[in-house]
Amino acid sequence: MKKQYLLSIVPIVLGVCLLAFLPSQEALLEELPIGSQAPMTDVEVKDVSGKMLTLKDVAKENGLLVNFSCNTCPWVAAWEDRYNPIAKLAKENGIGVVALNPNAAIRDDGESLQDMKQRAEKSNYQFYYALDEGAKMAEAFGATRTPHIYLFNSDMELVYRGAIDDNAKSAKDVEQPYLKNAIKNLAAGNEIDPKTTKSLGCTIKWPS
Amino acid sequence: MMMVIVPIHQSYSAPTTTAEDTLLKDVTGSELQKIIDSYKGEKAVLVNIWATWCAPCVKEFPEIVKLQRNYPDDLKVIFVSADFPQQRDEALNFLKKQKVDWTTYFKTGKDQPFIESLSQEWTGALPFTKVIDMNGDLVASWEQSASYEKFEHHVKTAINP
Repeated sequence: MKKQYLLSIVPIVLGVCLLAFLPSQEALLEELPIGSQAPMTDVEVKDVSGKMLTLKDVAKENGLLVNFSCNTCPWVAAWEDRYNPIAKLAKENGIGVVALNPNAAIRDDGESLQDMKQRAEKSNYQFYYALDEGAKMAEAFGATRTPHIYLFNSDMELVYRGAIDDNAKSAKDVEQPYLKNAIKNLAAGNEIDPKTTKSLGCTIKWPS
Repeated sequence: MMMVIVPIHQSYSAPTTTAEDTLLKDVTGSELQKIIDSYKGEKAVLVNIWATWCAPCVKEFPEIVKLQRNYPDDLKVIFVSADFPQQRDEALNFLKKQKVDWTTYFKTGKDQPFIESLSQEWTGALPFTKVIDMNGDLVASWEQSASYEKFEHHVKTAINP
């Protein structure tokens, strides 16, 4: 009995000891893995139009594109000239589009629904722009920055995650239009490659 | 009468290195890794990726400067600005305002290889900090801003691995 008990706790003790020597990687959220189901698809979010939406409502026959975005990030501003062309491409390919604003900590500092409405009007957004209240969606997706892209197929499985393309600063100098390629390949039933990419961006302002 | 011929190159002033060039130097991901590696066996290293437009970066910046001042012999702080090229002057002015008097760096090249050269776990959100001990081993890395106490906690571990 005693031997069995010892045998059962030895791996636990060893594991704890090992953990103490591992490098600490705090606050590195786990981004939703490729192949995962879209989370929180039935949760209502408020669009700048005042309409309440769910991700399920926004999705179309070939899938759903979610972009965690905001009003105050220079990286969003740099990529913004590609927002409407990508939304157009997605819609033409039967993919619904929504941008979600997760910057809950600075709603009084440029990220309120009213600010979002103004941004959507000024930039003539041709897609939903909804409030991710309390950054709950961002947390469920493992989003870390703006912009941060998640593309789902018709079964609401994640097929692409990451950057819009490889050049925030200049649309004309893009060499790898990752998201455009992913949208086209998703609609055509082709393999998406790469499935994940990375880019710099503004950290999400999480509620305290 | 003798003619003195002055070679052309003597009248040409070659570009000189300014203090500003030394304060903020261009760097790629692979060059940065070589710089980090050069401190192996000598000092612990704290790498901080920041930008003038990044509010949490600006907030924590003075704490990291303070840390460098408090551990001058055992720690090397390597700041890397991820500002857009047109904001380079803003980055320089910020460094001067913060009284940074050692060489810092300005990210060049594409995002993805730069991010991956620093950490496979880093998603690209700013600020990003990585602490490496004197043996060149990773002690900690994280996104989001941090307090002086958190920086110091990891730096102390890095100094005494």
